[in-house]
Amino acid sequence: MPSYTIEELIQLKPSETLSVDFDAVEFKAIIEKVKQVQALKEEEYNATHHGHFNRRRSSHLHHGKPKVKQHKPKVTTDENGWSTFETKTNEEGDSENNSDSNTSNGNSAGFTPTISKETVKVKPNNRHISSSRPADNSDIITDKQVHGFNTFAALVSDDEDDE
Amino acid sequence: MSVEEVSQKLENVTVNDNTPKTVLSDNKEFDVKHPLNTKWTLWYTKPAVDKSESWSDLLRPVTTFETVEEFWAIIQNIPEPHELPLKSDYHVFRNDIRPEWEDEANSKGGKWSFQLKGRGSDIDELWLRTLLAVIGETIDEEDSQINGVVLSIRKGGNKFALWTKSEDKEPLTKIGAKFKNVLKLTEDGLLEFYPHSAANDRHAQPSITL
Repeated sequence: MPSYTIEELIQLKPSETLSVDFDAVEFKAIIEKVKQVQALKEEEYNATHHGHFNRRRSSHLHHGKPKVKQHKPKVTTDENGWSTFETKTNEEGDSENNSDSNTSNGNSAGFTPTISKETVKVKPNNRHISSSRPADNSDIITDKQVHGFNTFAALVSDDEDDE
Repeated sequence: MSVEEVSQKLENVTVNDNTPKTVLSDNKEFDVKHPLNTKWTLWYTKPAVDKSESWSDLLRPVTTFETVEEFWAIIQNIPEPHELPLKSDYHVFRNDIRPEWEDEANSKGGKWSFQLKGRGSDIDELWLRTLLAVIGETIDEEDSQINGVVLSIRKGGNKFALWTKSEDKEPLTKIGAKFKNVLKLTEDGLLEFYPHSAANDRHAQPSITL
């Protein structure tokens, strides 16, 4: 079996470029085209990713301030043609005043409950559900011991009994 | 003999036109070609630029060669490894063996694999040395264990793979040791043999390591 060492084969390398029996020009052209397409794709990728490769998802990227929907102040026009802005704070203040006056008068028929126009989503704080900590902060106040044992008061009362 | 005498003798030498021309005496019209042990086929895997392209569309035979002169002609006319786009592969396989695990000649074999980190200029030289060792049959002198050789251009590091027809440890260890020399690897350079039967297992461990 014919065998040649690396050195022997290198010695047989012609100094001039020989011709081949396949279309080498077309083969090179295909490779060049692939390189161009790859370069174009990389450019597009850089443009869409703003040059950041393999960037990890940021925990604060899309979590800015929560979006609170502010209702537009209601404008009412009276008989005289005066327009009045009725803001939320005014409404609350008015309703409180009204309710106070209603209760003081004892007139329950004129009571109009205030309905909040904002949608409030209540989320339980799941973090504390399984722990011994109260899920709701208001529970801390509820569970708080109100009546403590007053040693001095107890002593005083005993003395009185003895007398 | 003086230099003048040598020059005089050279002038008197007449070239016998009947002497067959080799590639060394005549680059273009040479008669003598140096035959290789077998015919070899050069394959190329084109990187996919369109999702509709399948593996069979991308892997194509480029040309075949049977002599040293034909081999050099091909090398001179194709892009060097460093000029190839990412995800390209060059395959040089014996006879008509397809560079696929499914080919009957490959199905019971495996590959010696080495990953060259970075896209250095070494790749051209190492690929040429690998080819010369394979087609010159010096890497596998005893019996033809080698089916082909593959170069994969990848972002993480270019891969060299020597495909064999069996998983026999003894002859493969000899081939691996020679392949290590061809790739100019030191003791730190790790050469791993993976059987094709474990090719689908991503976490497959090499059966031989050198």
